[in-house]
Amino acid sequence: MVPLARRNLLSEKARFTMSIAGVAFAVLLILIVVSLYRGWSNVGRFYEQLPGDVWVAQPGTSDPFHSTSFLPLADAQRLAKVQGVRTVIPVYTRHIAFGEPGHELDVFAMAFAVPQTLGARTRAYEPHVGTIDIDRVLASHAHVGVGDSLQVLGRSLVVTSIHSGGNSIFETAFLNAADARSLFGIDRLTNFLVVDVASGASVPTVAAALRSALPGTETHTSEQFATSFADRVNAGFLAVVGVLVAIGFVVGGAVIALTTYTATVERAREFGVLKAIGASGSFLYRVVVRQSLIVGVLGAAIGIAGSVAATRLIRNSVPEFIAVLRPLDAAGVFAVAILMAIAASYVPVRRINRIDPAEVFRA
Amino acid sequence: MSAPLLRVDRVSREFGSDRTLVRAVADASFATQPGEVTLIMGPSGSGKTTLLSMIGAILRPTSGRIVIDGLDITTLGRRELPRVRRELVGFVFQTFNLLESLSALENVEIALNIAGVTGPAARERAHALLCEAGLEQRLHFNAQALSAGERQRVALARALANEPRLLLADEPTANLDAEAGHDVMALLRRLTESKGHAAVVVSHDPRLHEVADRVFRLADGRLTPAELGPVQPDVEQPVPREIVPLVLGP
Repeated sequence: MVPLARRNLLSEKARFTMSIAGVAFAVLLILIVVSLYRGWSNVGRFYEQLPGDVWVAQPGTSDPFHSTSFLPLADAQRLAKVQGVRTVIPVYTRHIAFGEPGHELDVFAMAFAVPQTLGARTRAYEPHVGTIDIDRVLASHAHVGVGDSLQVLGRSLVVTSIHSGGNSIFETAFLNAADARSLFGIDRLTNFLVVDVASGASVPTVAAALRSALPGTETHTSEQFATSFADRVNAGFLAVVGVLVAIGFVVGGAVIALTTYTATVERAREFGVLKAIGASGSFLYRVVVRQSLIVGVLGAAIGIAGSVAATRLIRNSVPEFIAVLRPLDAAGVFAVAILMAIAASYVPVRRINRIDPAEVFRA
Repeated sequence: MSAPLLRVDRVSREFGSDRTLVRAVADASFATQPGEVTLIMGPSGSGKTTLLSMIGAILRPTSGRIVIDGLDITTLGRRELPRVRRELVGFVFQTFNLLESLSALENVEIALNIAGVTGPAARERAHALLCEAGLEQRLHFNAQALSAGERQRVALARALANEPRLLLADEPTANLDAEAGHDVMALLRRLTESKGHAAVVVSHDPRLHEVADRVFRLADGRLTPAELGPVQPDVEQPVPREIVPLVLGP
């Protein structure tokens, strides 16, 4: 088959290149926005990495970041007696603002009072007294490294570890539980009680037993906190993301439509010649749709490749922006770009329908 | 005498209505046998191209019948006309109408693609036709890089690609110099005879008498038989200065 569609497009290389670039930028915009949205939605997955299976809190608590809770520390002993409970860990949380005026840092601080009976992996969440474990975004913003000191609420804490994570929504720090009680000014209270369920016990059953043992409280799993967090992100960003994605698709579609239309109009006489020598409507439509698809497929492929590179760049150079490019999202955008290219052929196809083959007799 | 390959029977074509009514072709009738070249002469605006468009299933007659190889094309539906154009007739245009972004070979190949012939079969057929037209050295030249005579020979090869029964040529020498015009018409004559199809050529170029079996004159939409032999140019349409009398070889 003669590659007429390709030849038509390549006859104007500058326009062809700009069209591909236009579609690629539209796809890049869409995927970057979607990647950032996915990243923000996943921030709540942070809770799933923390120790414990069931969180006990005051009623009305959405998640530790967005709301607080106070429980008597003594309740830990009552919960420890519930069947299926292996350990109860008091958890202290608070947003702390500290640093120089004009350069204040807002940190979500957590402290797990991890019993010595638990394994080293869990105990790693509680640094030693006088030390602090911060994420890499906070380390970057505070310009500190391991061994440096951070002034937190008038106390000097030595940075002993920098963990991955941190983002534009919140930066995290882990404190020693004794330091947290002292800094937060609470002694006989805790914010949450996290229960480690014994192996073999059912988490929902234990959660129900916990609520019965401690009336006036509610229980959450880490997964529920993560979902709640994602719901809040969705409520805040989904509409904006939707608008940006729609704009991206409209821009990409318009670029393809304009390119295909001008390539068709410029070659209207040649399409007339093809009609005159017997080309059917479907033959000509296929040429036009191929023109659109070439621009759409190449633009989308380059846009996706650019998005992969851009998300890597964002992750490495701007760690507070979490960009997660999911293959399924890329495949979805590619599929929509193809549909967009086919839809963009509609106007040029209508133009072809109006071409009178008798025009070819005009000198 | 065998059945005519083309029969044009009292064909008329009108444009406009009431006071703006123009009768471009009025009751034109003629027939063409296989292997014949029929020349229709007439000045600009006489209705030559309108008549050719109707024979080529591009324009519908207002009245009358056109029968090609036994098929009355005036009874066909709009969707069936492209099939007539790609299977029964081949067109050669005054301005060649090659696709500028394609090579000579591809210009012929695409006519085959339109008829559903693709791949090596299409390429080999296009190659053979262009070699027959003496363009074996120009196969991969872009259409824009060919001379006017070469372009018209490519157009002729394209017109013959799907082995049509009828070849229709609209002023095929109008944009060619004497030598190129001679070559193209000699090729058209030779191919018409050798392949047994018929050709209808419309022109105001009197030199084409040399290749015609029969000549008709069209004036004010009316078609009348004319004598074979040298004729004077139409006074209404002077022959372009660059064209000199065409003398065909044996």
